Amino acid sequence: MILFLVIGATWALLYVPQDYQQGLTNRILYVHVPVASLSLSFFPLMAVAGTITLVWKMKLADMVVKVAAPLGAWFTALALASGSIWGVDTWGTWWIWDGRLTSLLLQFFLLLGIISLRSALEDSDAAARACALLSIVGCINVVVIKYSVDWWNTLHQPGTTFGMTSDQPNGPEFWIPLLIMGIAVALFFAVSLILATRNEILERERRSQWVQELVQE
Amino acid sequence: MNKQRVSTGQAFRATLQRDLLIAYKRKNDMVNPFMFFLIVASLFPIGISPDSERLAEIAAGVLWISALLASLLAMDNLYRADYEDGSLEQLLLSPHPLYFMVLAKNIAHWLVSGLPVVLISPLIAYMLNLPSESYMTLFVTLLLGTPVFSLLGSIGVALTVGLGSRGLILAVITLPMSVPVLIAGTLAIEQTSNGASLGGYLAILGAMLVASISLAPLASGAALRISVN
Repeated sequence: MILFLVIGATWALLYVPQDYQQGLTNRILYVHVPVASLSLSFFPLMAVAGTITLVWKMKLADMVVKVAAPLGAWFTALALASGSIWGVDTWGTWWIWDGRLTSLLLQFFLLLGIISLRSALEDSDAAARACALLSIVGCINVVVIKYSVDWWNTLHQPGTTFGMTSDQPNGPEFWIPLLIMGIAVALFFAVSLILATRNEILERERRSQWVQELVQE
Repeated sequence: MNKQRVSTGQAFRATLQRDLLIAYKRKNDMVNPFMFFLIVASLFPIGISPDSERLAEIAAGVLWISALLASLLAMDNLYRADYEDGSLEQLLLSPHPLYFMVLAKNIAHWLVSGLPVVLISPLIAYMLNLPSESYMTLFVTLLLGTPVFSLLGSIGVALTVGLGSRGLILAVITLPMSVPVLIAGTLAIEQTSNGASLGGYLAILGAMLVASISLAPLASGAALRISVN
């Protein structure tokens, strides 16, 4: 993960040729695009884990739902922040009520709602099922929000295709570092999810034998 | 009741009647959302500008947001009294599909809290100087949109009914979910005042209504089962 992150970041920040219009600013793309595309995967992830919680009552799935919500909120916030830093240079504004920005902002609010619902419910079993249900409902809703705001007001560019040969507008010298950064961010996400889940397991099982032994070592 | 079995249709009607009767007996619950709608809508001209041209621009949005907030305020009554006196548990224990019971409660709730708001909306629209050709659009879109607010809000209430301080959490959960309806409704009014045809937006709002009628009570039912152990 660290290897990919270091290679991707250095390549993206130092060696990628500058955009002829945007200059150095376009390098924030190498943070913004991977983070933003990954932040869209949180609701499907939580909905799948939530379904597993509701159907098979697996504790591990609930832990994933629990730790994914704050992580998802962070990724969404990062995507919004990096996007608005980029936007201030290219669109001339920090914020605009555009389809993608608004839908991501609403996803952020929904994630905060799930977090606050979990902290409000004291019974952890009920909290698990309530949050699982809300994740599933939210997942459907994020799709609806996404489409509804898209025909409301749109400035954000659609996804760009990347070509294999260097004479195309987005040749390999652009997309290979992006690919590396994408892998790096995905790995970062996976590692933090696993670490957070491990903490959660240890905290919930703090009274069990093997955790006690682990602490004593 | 003798040993005769009650059909689902009868149970549906009984739940509907019971909720309407309770609402009729407790007129406060009926009047409050309505008053809230009037007050919120009249705060906007005071807060923004009494200038009639600017009001005309924002009127549609003001009416929709006020209707959304009024429905949110009324949501809290939907299951709380039933939860506190135990009749919600009886509802969950009944042999009839929970879907129809929840739907009946939602319909009763909308008739009491949503419909008055829709009916008074042309008057407020006049006070806010909404262009007169948009009245019909406003009325029809609110008629289609407010039941969706009730149905979606019902999921949030069902999830939070057991909590002590549920007001704010309910808002945080429910408001982002209501955004698509808000967008479709205000877009419809904006576009028709520019002369576009209404059909497409009505179809989208209608689709949202049908989807939430068929799916939201299922989610509310599941949420009620979680909240009431």
